[in-house]
Amino acid sequence: MSTIVSMTGITRRFGAVTALDQVDLQVEAGKIHALVGENGAGKTTLMRILYGGLDADAGVIEVEGQSRHFRNSAEAIASGIGMVSQHYSIIPELTCLQNLMLGAEPGLWIAERDAEARATELATRMGFEFSWRAPAGSLSPAGAQKLEILKLLWRQARIMILDEPTAMLSPADGDALFVSLKQLAAEGDTIILVTHRLPEVLQHCSHVTVLRGGRNVAHAAIGEHETPDAAQLAAWIVGHEVPEVQIEAVAPGKPVLEIRSLRVRGDRGEEAVKGISLRLHEGEVVGLAGVDGNGQRELFQALIGVGTVLEGSVLLDGRDVTRDGPVERLRQGVRLIPEDRHEEGVVEDWSLELNAALGLQRLEPLRSGLWVDVGERRALAGAIAERFRTKHGGLGLPMRSLSGGNQQRFVAARALALKPRVILAFQPTRGLDIEGTLAVYAALRETCRREGVCAIVVSFDLDELLEQCDRVVAINGGALFEPKPGEERDRAAIGRLMVGAA
Amino acid sequence: MGSFDLILLLKTAPGLSLALLLAAMGGLTSERSGIINIALEGKMLISCCVTALMSVAFGPWIGLLGGIGAAVVLAMLHAVLTQMYRVDHIVSGMAINIIAFGASNFLDKKFTDINRTGEIPQLPFEFYYVAAFALPLVLWLYLRRTKGGLRLWAVGNDPDKARQMGVDPVKVRYLALLATGVFCGLAGAWLVTNAGRFVDGMTAGRGFIALAALILGGWRPIPAALACIAFGLLDSIQLQLQGSKLLGAGIPSQFWNSLPYLATLIALAGLLGRNRAPAGLGKP
Repeated sequence: MSTIVSMTGITRRFGAVTALDQVDLQVEAGKIHALVGENGAGKTTLMRILYGGLDADAGVIEVEGQSRHFRNSAEAIASGIGMVSQHYSIIPELTCLQNLMLGAEPGLWIAERDAEARATELATRMGFEFSWRAPAGSLSPAGAQKLEILKLLWRQARIMILDEPTAMLSPADGDALFVSLKQLAAEGDTIILVTHRLPEVLQHCSHVTVLRGGRNVAHAAIGEHETPDAAQLAAWIVGHEVPEVQIEAVAPGKPVLEIRSLRVRGDRGEEAVKGISLRLHEGEVVGLAGVDGNGQRELFQALIGVGTVLEGSVLLDGRDVTRDGPVERLRQGVRLIPEDRHEEGVVEDWSLELNAALGLQRLEPLRSGLWVDVGERRALAGAIAERFRTKHGGLGLPMRSLSGGNQQRFVAARALALKPRVILAFQPTRGLDIEGTLAVYAALRETCRREGVCAIVVSFDLDELLEQCDRVVAINGGALFEPKPGEERDRAAIGRLMVGAA
Repeated sequence: MGSFDLILLLKTAPGLSLALLLAAMGGLTSERSGIINIALEGKMLISCCVTALMSVAFGPWIGLLGGIGAAVVLAMLHAVLTQMYRVDHIVSGMAINIIAFGASNFLDKKFTDINRTGEIPQLPFEFYYVAAFALPLVLWLYLRRTKGGLRLWAVGNDPDKARQMGVDPVKVRYLALLATGVFCGLAGAWLVTNAGRFVDGMTAGRGFIALAALILGGWRPIPAALACIAFGLLDSIQLQLQGSKLLGAGIPSQFWNSLPYLATLIALAGLLGRNRAPAGLGKP
């Protein structure tokens, strides 16, 4: 066993904040090494330092026994270190082959046939198949992930850093990815896996390093004696025992939201939602599992009144609201936790107080005649900030002053305020740590139970949905699939529904 | 409908297309790198003026180099404004057009010798013909088959991702604008060579027509070149139809005059082909 990457005493400060404090990381050659921790624990910062994207204030990096200091990612690549970041760096308008070569072209003149032959050889070795001349935009998330890995191989990387590689993949694609990664490891390549999915760590990795608040918390080998279990890992990550979630069963009340064979047109004119029917009852939290881009977005658009409904209807408390616009829907109690909080959830230059009222300004008790009741607005903002303990420096400060996680807390709390009827949550816990995630789901369930409302939660993380929702349905290619009786909590069965393989 | 001379039409059209072709290829490198370029007009105009003045003083080759140099200076100004100071691309393009208009007028008034208003020395026309008609083919090959072309294409589509892959978008854009300057310089030199002397505002909107052709051609060299030739044809039809009677009615020459501009307007309004724009156009 030889150590291929050794980082010792890495320290990095951003202003007054110490993002990394004397962090060590030892990675053995030919292994899959997991790096876990909450958001803000310093995982990504540490990896960016290794990859040359950031400078460390102190500490030593050794690669294959030699002291290294990369000033940019090009130098890191030259030394055989490559990184696939969470947001793919594939350019959809270029062909797969062009994406593969970009930045590492074989020469000034590109002999496309030779390049294609080499690319195919590389892909075959990994058991992948690509039509190299097709635009990369036509790739599925799993295909894009494979292309990213091939890009590293093309650059002859032997140490690969993968940041949350399964975040956008279906369970089956995720498993297939690990088969490929294990093959790479068997061939001697080293993989550093940044993840928050603990089952992945325990099933597929051979070592795990846990960071918390910018410090080393634990380092363990997996598969040997004293292997930590998931609860132990979670406790390391959070810093104390994490209570297991117990969802108290709820007897569904009367139906609140009813979707009847709804068909919705997408942005590009295609039919994105193809006849979905779903009924939600009082007190119910329903998880909508699916790979990104399978109609979740368009379904939500139709439900908040901005989508183009081709056919079908939406009933709220028995009343047809299909033709009502977003203002009407808000009044009826439809609330959204949007996918992209920066773009759709808040106005970043406005104060927290104004953002608290954003979208709710026409509702009692905020409205008083033609005016907005400023006192009520301040009270509401305070309550929203309090709910998930948003860290802020004052309600009068602009939204921009909040970190992403805190903005998400704020937006989620806002959706639960002022008597909602239906809560539509698109990845409500994106960017939140474990505690924040648990708090948001607990509050969702509590609101639904207490006020007799219902919620749909879209997430790309099936495990999270199974753990937190009353029931889970799958969406694939714009159609809805409900698990068979007896398989409602069956991860593999729902995973198959997500990819249409049932 | 009067005398419509097809032979004359086919003879004049290529000449009228040349400046459009060169300028459109200049626009291509710029817009493919992600920089919106409404300043083709100004870059051509400054080249017209400087080529005329320097040809008279130092001979045609130095004149050509001077014209290209002047256009390159404006192109580099464009690059510095948009890349270093993050000025909006449309605003900086506007500014460059205004600078070029004023500067060419000033230089012309200042340096034109009243005693020598005769013809300026010219390079052989064939030089421009070969350059203009070979350029789209060369660019097509460059974009499809070379490292530089791939990087140009990538930066125009997504500068951030290109940067992640180790490509320096700013460098690519400076080079792209350098090429824009050279091609617009050539276009201006041809205009003044063809006309024989410099006239204030002589580009007469050809920079914008070239841009329209580029958009019509979907930002691809060969289709854009074909669009330029089509505009050239339209121009020569327009010249012939002036003063002719159509269906017995006398149509004012201004109508025919406006034809190429009308077509340009329709193309620029984005009714056609906007959807094929480089995805990163105008992004920092």
